[in-house]
Amino acid sequence: MFGLIGHSPSFEDARVKARSLGFEEYADGDLDMWCTAPPQLVEHVTVESPTGQQIRGAYIDSVFVPEMLRRFKTAKRKVLKAMELAQRSGIDITALGGFTSIIFEDMNLLREERVSAVSLDWQRFTTGNTHTAWVICQQVETNAPKVGIDLARARVAVVGASGDIGSAVCRWLQRRGVGELLLVARRPQPLIDLQQSLGSGRILSLEEALPEADVVVWVASLPQSLQIDTTTLRRPCLMIDGGYPKNLDAKAAAEGVHVLKGGIVEFWQDIGWQMMEVAEMERPQRQMFACFAEAMLLDFEQIHTNFSWGRNNITLEAMDRIGAASLRHGFRSLELDPARLGARATLAPA
Amino acid sequence: MATLTSATEASAAQVPAGDASQALASAPVGDGQSSDLPDFQSATYKDAYSRINAIVIEGEQEAHDNYIAIGTLIPDQAEELTRLARMELKHMKGFTACANNLGVTADMAFAKQFFAPLHNNFQAALAEGRVTTCLLIQAILIEAFAISAYHIYIPVADPFARKITEGVVKDEYTHLNYGQEWLKANLDAVREELEQANRENLPLVRRMLEQVAGDAAVLQMDKEDLMADFLSSYQEALTDIGFTGREIARMAAAALVG
Repeated sequence: MFGLIGHSPSFEDARVKARSLGFEEYADGDLDMWCTAPPQLVEHVTVESPTGQQIRGAYIDSVFVPEMLRRFKTAKRKVLKAMELAQRSGIDITALGGFTSIIFEDMNLLREERVSAVSLDWQRFTTGNTHTAWVICQQVETNAPKVGIDLARARVAVVGASGDIGSAVCRWLQRRGVGELLLVARRPQPLIDLQQSLGSGRILSLEEALPEADVVVWVASLPQSLQIDTTTLRRPCLMIDGGYPKNLDAKAAAEGVHVLKGGIVEFWQDIGWQMMEVAEMERPQRQMFACFAEAMLLDFEQIHTNFSWGRNNITLEAMDRIGAASLRHGFRSLELDPARLGARATLAPA
Repeated sequence: MATLTSATEASAAQVPAGDASQALASAPVGDGQSSDLPDFQSATYKDAYSRINAIVIEGEQEAHDNYIAIGTLIPDQAEELTRLARMELKHMKGFTACANNLGVTADMAFAKQFFAPLHNNFQAALAEGRVTTCLLIQAILIEAFAISAYHIYIPVADPFARKITEGVVKDEYTHLNYGQEWLKANLDAVREELEQANRENLPLVRRMLEQVAGDAAVLQMDKEDLMADFLSSYQEALTDIGFTGREIARMAAAALVG
């Protein structure tokens, strides 16, 4: 059985969802009440691969909302308690979605193995980052030619290059062969280390990189204050918005700049779950974050281990492996809409 | 899911709190053990401890009495219940030793008053032979709360009390388990009474917690942690008894909004 740990995109969304599911007490409750509320296993689903294989899964709402980010202890407890519930429910492999994996990493919850009476078994969890990185690479490879970019000559900027997903994307693109990799991140030392390990790539600031880049892969979420001067961007320019939350649409909208939501996949048929309706997808019955899909893939493939875990452990072999599984079990990466390139993303015909 | 190059870059455009993720970046990274323990010898600590410790002692005493009383309602279980009751008395002695160790006199008058609402509900149910309500109050609510509170107390306890409390927690699980098993076996017959008992008693637990939140904070036990942990344990017990997630969410709401 696979599991997904998710949360609503905002407190208001969470309350609306609670009301629609008939939980009036929660819908009327204030943020303090939601802080105290334990995680909920809200639904079970059965998912069938084109191979005919069926797996069962569960969606756990951590009852975390982004408004709780400033309450460190609450945020930490929400993630750990949701993981505890997943483990107690006998789920073999669970993906951490949305802010939960960010909280897990930033607050270094690996040290918090023991939650009250339960010892968390890390083998049962995955960040889903390997699949996310693979999907982002697919999105670059598939969509660049569609907007007239020749990857073999293109400059590809990776913003957040030294992170878990960013470094994997750099390694993949280097193997595939692109014109030049532009490496962007906040902290200098990890970037220098990455450049050395790649043996190529140019380190630039964000301001320097943007006007040079034909393709920009964003895997760091954007500061709210960040302004992008679209007049300095190259035309055409492909931007893959792989951060969380996804807010690049508003910042980089311009003629000839094509923004695609990154790290999102579509399943080959409807799944029939209720909870995903709040997950900011255009087609919530089929589309989901690639990290969630990784838990399904690992269950389909009977790989019940923490496939993506820790920082900068993603190998090209692991990406190849999860990518092959992704295709085999009916997932496709989100692509630019050929009719309205840049304005709206959907699936292109094969 | 995409992680951040640096958490300070996370802005969370959808987070009204603005620089919430920036705050996250500066979050203390701990191992769950507070390196900054309270000053166990300070007058403030001892004053708060005199009430918290009294509640624990009274709680164990009530537990003893309650298990013996439940034994009169289900005579075929009386022997097992007497065994559980004896363990509670042993715990009570342990916690009394904790107070002595710190040179604190437990405020038992406060504790009696503190437990009065739950005590009265239990006695009323006992008088009417409502074994389900008795078990919910003692074997589920009180035990689940005790387990959560002990877990949160252990990392911030003085070394003597920590050792005692760690030993107690192990026993309390068997008590919670006892109540669960009986209610599970009889769920069809007791479901309605259980829901009613939940409505009547769960809000009391929250009010009791609020009453001592200030003292608990002096002992470095956070009210929200206590409540959240209790609800998790309670939810787990109800799941085991056989309620669905939706039913449990509704039942738990009684603690949150009641």
